[in-house]
Amino acid sequence: MKRTGLQWLAISVLLISALSANADTRPQYGGTLHITTSMSTSSLDPAEMPDSVGARNLVALIFDTLVIVDATGRPQSALAESWQSVAGDRGVEFHLRRNVKFHDGNPLTTEIVVSSLRKANPAWNVTAGGDVVSIESAGAIPELLQELSLSRNAIAKRDATGNPSGTGPFHIVDWQPGKRLVAAANEDYWNGRPFVDEIDIDMGRTFRDQMNALESGRADLAEVAPEQMHRAVSQRYELLRSSPIELIALKFAKEAASAQEKASRDALRLSIERQSMHNVLLQGAGQPSASLLPTWMSGYGFVFSTEPDRLRAQQLRDQIPGVPSFTLGYDNNDPLARLLAERVALNAKETGLSVQLNASATELRLVRIPLASCDPWSSLLVLNNQLGLPPIEAKAHSLDQLFASEQSMLASGRIIPLFHLPLAYAAGTNLRDWTVMPGGKLNVTGAWLKSSQP
Amino acid sequence: MSFRRKLLLVFSVSVALSVAAVAWLVQEVTRKAFEETENQRTSQLVGQFQREFNRQGEEVTRRVENIAASETVNRMGAALNGTSADSAEYFDLARSLAESHQLDFLELLDSRGMIVSSAQWAAKFGYPEPAFQILSPSAQQPAFLKLEQLQDSTALGLFTVRTSAGREHPVYVVGGRRLDKTFLSTLNVAPEMRVLLYQNRGETFSADLLVNASASSRDARAAEKLAPLVDAVRRSNQEMSTPVRWSSDRADEEIFHAIPLRGLGENRPLLGILLIGQSRRNYVQLSRRIKDAALLAGAGGIVLALFLSGWAAARVTRPIEELAGAAQSVAAGSWDTRVQVNGHDEVSQLANSFNQMTTELLAQKERLVQAERVAAWRELARRLAHELKNPLFPLQLTVENLIRARTQSPEQFEEVFRESSQTLLSELANLKGIIGRFSEFSKMPQPQLQRVNVNQVLRGVVQLFQAQLNVPGKPAIECRSETDESLGTIAADPELLHRAISNLVLNAMDAMPQGGKLTLLSRREPQKVVIEVADTGTGLTPEECARIFTPYYTNKQHGSGLGLAIVQSVVSDHGGTITVRSQPGKGTAFVIELPERPELLAEIAESRAQHAGEPVRN
Repeated sequence: MKRTGLQWLAISVLLISALSANADTRPQYGGTLHITTSMSTSSLDPAEMPDSVGARNLVALIFDTLVIVDATGRPQSALAESWQSVAGDRGVEFHLRRNVKFHDGNPLTTEIVVSSLRKANPAWNVTAGGDVVSIESAGAIPELLQELSLSRNAIAKRDATGNPSGTGPFHIVDWQPGKRLVAAANEDYWNGRPFVDEIDIDMGRTFRDQMNALESGRADLAEVAPEQMHRAVSQRYELLRSSPIELIALKFAKEAASAQEKASRDALRLSIERQSMHNVLLQGAGQPSASLLPTWMSGYGFVFSTEPDRLRAQQLRDQIPGVPSFTLGYDNNDPLARLLAERVALNAKETGLSVQLNASATELRLVRIPLASCDPWSSLLVLNNQLGLPPIEAKAHSLDQLFASEQSMLASGRIIPLFHLPLAYAAGTNLRDWTVMPGGKLNVTGAWLKSSQP
Repeated sequence: MSFRRKLLLVFSVSVALSVAAVAWLVQEVTRKAFEETENQRTSQLVGQFQREFNRQGEEVTRRVENIAASETVNRMGAALNGTSADSAEYFDLARSLAESHQLDFLELLDSRGMIVSSAQWAAKFGYPEPAFQILSPSAQQPAFLKLEQLQDSTALGLFTVRTSAGREHPVYVVGGRRLDKTFLSTLNVAPEMRVLLYQNRGETFSADLLVNASASSRDARAAEKLAPLVDAVRRSNQEMSTPVRWSSDRADEEIFHAIPLRGLGENRPLLGILLIGQSRRNYVQLSRRIKDAALLAGAGGIVLALFLSGWAAARVTRPIEELAGAAQSVAAGSWDTRVQVNGHDEVSQLANSFNQMTTELLAQKERLVQAERVAAWRELARRLAHELKNPLFPLQLTVENLIRARTQSPEQFEEVFRESSQTLLSELANLKGIIGRFSEFSKMPQPQLQRVNVNQVLRGVVQLFQAQLNVPGKPAIECRSETDESLGTIAADPELLHRAISNLVLNAMDAMPQGGKLTLLSRREPQKVVIEVADTGTGLTPEECARIFTPYYTNKQHGSGLGLAIVQSVVSDHGGTITVRSQPGKGTAFVIELPERPELLAEIAESRAQHAGEPVRN
């Protein structure tokens, strides 16, 4: 009997321990998730927001796309339950998910989807028939699904005043353009109600402010600058990062007007010492890069040399009469951008080039370009479009053609790649089950807040 | 200008000059005293500023020493230890250290002088510090000035270099504070002082290089006014002072003391110039207050002086004015005028003498009148004797002739008696005539005043004598009448006036036996009418002119001597005057001045109206 009692006692202790452990890992509903971000936008309309990872994250909270791309780059169903190619890959028909409602209570219809896609893509031929939405093109559009997964193609229903309404996991409660967004959980979300009751997003904060907010407990989740990753890890925050998905580059607004200018740009490109910047300014985060697509995405990035060639740069500079000068602009709210720009100016000075810094300069800017997706072709095409270069003519999306297209873009002299950086986020230990996609997208739909009370 | 006014003016000017002189003297003395005080104060303030500047340098040195001695820097030195080990993790160290130690500039250099971390130009890591060769020997020196190259500009700073301790390959800590507006504003300077810094770059003065701690509107004003001082210091490389006036207002002036700031190196280049400005506003305002007070006191003194001068001048001049008034009265004929004598001063003596003088004048006048009266009687007696002697002598001869005829020729007595009787009657008639003229003169009638047109009287006289002026066989007398037709009427007796003028014309005709020119003119003068009867005859001597109006005085053989006396009597009865102007051989002019007497004219008009039974017209 005594032995039996001890056995029962042991079993009870194990059960209680197991239940307690389960309570720590079991998702909890409720709470407000405080997020800080450097992104700032004056509009929540997906078709009007400038493309950035922050904007994509914001859109993903309020809106849904027809399809999404998973971690491996494969399209998955979202508002479109299924799809099929038609007319020899010149079009795709999408069957919409049923019983999906917008935040204002109206059901998702093909007409709304068509209207939303037409607004974002005026060149597309989008039609509706029954519960089917058709997108057709004169030629093949192999990257259409990746394209549709972009945030600008999120489905939005606009009222008479143009205010957008989405079908996403959260609906807007309070919107202060450029400053703050408070969104509450969508109880009728087609993919299940989010665990947190509310998300409070504080926008337009520097990385330093975000880190301070995280440290002071004013934020549960914050963006982390590459050079602050070590600090975040050392402070025992949960740090998640994407693949190097953000391109840092020098971008010229126009093509070189003369051979001399082209030579000046080449001299500038060859004078840049990426490795020291990577070691010191980026604290080893990301990768020095002379290519547009990161190696992990294209597989050939190492082919483009990141080492400076001061001798060649000096030779090019000597061919140019006078002192070639550039005015380099950068994002004044981005300390890393300022440092990188200063270092570029220093490197250039050693070669005999003059680079003046002026944050508002537009002819030459140091920019952060988030690659559109994890799909190289999709990213390259969007990038090509962003640079305003001639459309890429590729019959088949092969690796050779990808390489050739990228080479062609680089040869235009419009852009000098510097680095590919991952996007990193840090969260306190009370935030659970949040994820970051390889493309940098933050997923907090399944995240939950661990209550501090037992 | 009256004597009183002159006296008042003299008094006032004297007092005003005295007050002004005292005010100027006070102001000059005050100004000199203030200037001495200001100079001493400026020296003290400049000394205070230099101590403050040195204190800031010591503070920078202390902070840099703390950094150099910090565990973080020593750990970094140990990690690097003269090798090319990865220094990336220290990239941001300078910035955080600079922030925590409140330094504007901070660079951490390895033993080779390569920048490991830079607070002021973070991107410069891995590059050599250009001034390392100059800095390293100064590693334990006090603070010094250095021109720091930044990304897009240069900045002047107060630097110190220190090394991490106890290493073969030390870490150099180069830290400093920017000499900028903030730095200048942290300097404890007196309230009336301000500090500016000129960064010595470029060949010529530029207002953009002037750093001003103050944010007042004055600082935005033309900094070019400091250019001469800056240029002078740049040339001489020495301290100097000069006043700078920012506007036309003297209170807007500052005394600027310029201190050259030199850097390290062989030639110790001039990196900047500190300009310590001291406002003179307080001094000028105090000076103005003194000046205003002096002016106020001066003005008050002058006003008081005017009153006092007026009172004193009145007191002094009153007896003199009384004397002057009395003298005027005497001059007007009031010979019995006397003035009151008060006191025993010179003016009183003068008044006393004046009274004696008028007394003496009165006495002399009495004597003169008596003498004249006696003389007149004598003249009358002489004339009477003369006049009577002429007819008496024929009478005597006639009577004697009768007596002789009675005794010597009775037969002829009848004839003699007849002739003598005629002679006696004739001479008696002559005597009677003489007595009649005297009687007539003594019975000159009072004028019966009427409204008389003087020009008409003149024309009547001319008409009366027209025939006698051009008598055949006698030299002609040209008569010219110049009458002022604007003359109005005067109150006069037309017959007496006619008689008086006729007498003058007769006299003139007698004075021109060889012919000549007779002029009768009338003219108007203020409140009077002037009648002039002039001839071109023999003229009169001054003695004759003096006695010409004396009764029974004549220079003519058959004159009675009463003609001009009658004229004078008539003129005098009309309230007028008669004067004579003459030179021997050049003729004589008698000038009669008759008052218009409008009040009498009104009375005459009223009287006539009453006589005529008509209402009075104004």
